[in-house]
Amino acid sequence: MKRLLSLILICTIAPLIYSFGQDNPQLYKLQSPFERYRHNSITVRGLAALPLGGLSDGYIDKSSVKNYSVALEWLFPNAPVSAGFEIGKTYFEKRLPRGMYSSSDWDISAVQTRTLSLTPIQGFVNYNINGVNSIVQPYVQASVGVNVVNYILYLGSLGDQYQKLRFGYGIGAGSKFLFKRDGKFGADIRVRYNNATFDYGYLEKGAPHVTASFGLFYRWW
Amino acid sequence: MTLKMKNNKYLNWLISAGCVLALAACSANDPISDLSLEETQVYMTDRDKTVNFKDYKTFSVVDSVLIYGNQGTGTALTEVDVMLLNRIVQNMEKHGYQYVAASQKPDVGINVAQVNNSYVNVVSQPVGSYWGSYWGGWGMGYPSYYSYYTVNESYWMLEMLDFKNANVVDKELNVVWRSQIRGEGINDKTLVQGMVDKIFDQSEYLNIK
Repeated sequence: MKRLLSLILICTIAPLIYSFGQDNPQLYKLQSPFERYRHNSITVRGLAALPLGGLSDGYIDKSSVKNYSVALEWLFPNAPVSAGFEIGKTYFEKRLPRGMYSSSDWDISAVQTRTLSLTPIQGFVNYNINGVNSIVQPYVQASVGVNVVNYILYLGSLGDQYQKLRFGYGIGAGSKFLFKRDGKFGADIRVRYNNATFDYGYLEKGAPHVTASFGLFYRWW
Repeated sequence: MTLKMKNNKYLNWLISAGCVLALAACSANDPISDLSLEETQVYMTDRDKTVNFKDYKTFSVVDSVLIYGNQGTGTALTEVDVMLLNRIVQNMEKHGYQYVAASQKPDVGINVAQVNNSYVNVVSQPVGSYWGSYWGGWGMGYPSYYSYYTVNESYWMLEMLDFKNANVVDKELNVVWRSQIRGEGINDKTLVQGMVDKIFDQSEYLNIK
């Protein structure tokens, strides 16, 4: 997992460095429609998620890979900033062998299954370091919105559930890679820190985690 | 035309990737579906912390199991019930208590009920009333009760009543130890004895040897 994160981190930072060495665009060349008009992009991502902080220390320390997101983005000509919405799902799970727990007056012997599902519905703003038609398009991102938090702690087959809509935010960096110049399709990699703010059960300070994602995008104008 | 075909190929790829991701996400199974019957079971015990169990020497146990729930109340004595009652006797003896008949004034008595209702606080008082009459018209004083489980299920409930220090004025018996066995397979013959052993094993304070 750490190797995967490192690889994605390197792939994220390298384009940032590369971007400073790119040649200036040729003069008198007709710009593509993507450079002249506001256009749209949809990105489908698969995410690997690594729990951090209180989530890792107090509830689930196991990473997960069955996560996804879909983002819709609006990009503007001659402006380094783009904006959009993203919806997704991140799921953590951990099984603990039978152990003793206390609840109120009871001593409880049970196998614990800890789960946490987060469904972020967030708006984001990207600062794009290269032009919208560059083959390599590094960006930094900030997002804010809500998370549908679904916390279920199972003792044996008995579940204690907490399901609420809670504030969520994220900050990250990534890069898009066009498959060809002026093309409509490309790949996207991103590393992002995320949190959902809530206090319940084992989680007193929300659910901080980092996601590393690989995605494919399609853009149109 | 070639470009359009290429674009369609990419679009199909993108859609396919999206579908795979969506299916992977939707295919998340029930997180507890892989638990064995024994692993689904939860053994809960509670005691009156002011009580020294070494003060008790003899015990008795009800001669049948109370069935309580939305389908009605009554008693039963199935093969599983007999296995359960016998195992309780064995465990009490193993912990140093002597079995006597209910008519021989035992120091403590053990009630056994199977509850087919998830809300314990709804059924606890009727159960107390029922068994109070079994033991000769005594009411029962419960320790403070709290449960946050909201799952409908059947479960076993055991209670140990203090006859030795009965409240004669109010005709009330204290529950000095209680236990619940919840989860799947609680009527499985192969699991019953192990279930009883576990609730006694986690109640070391009951040992008077």
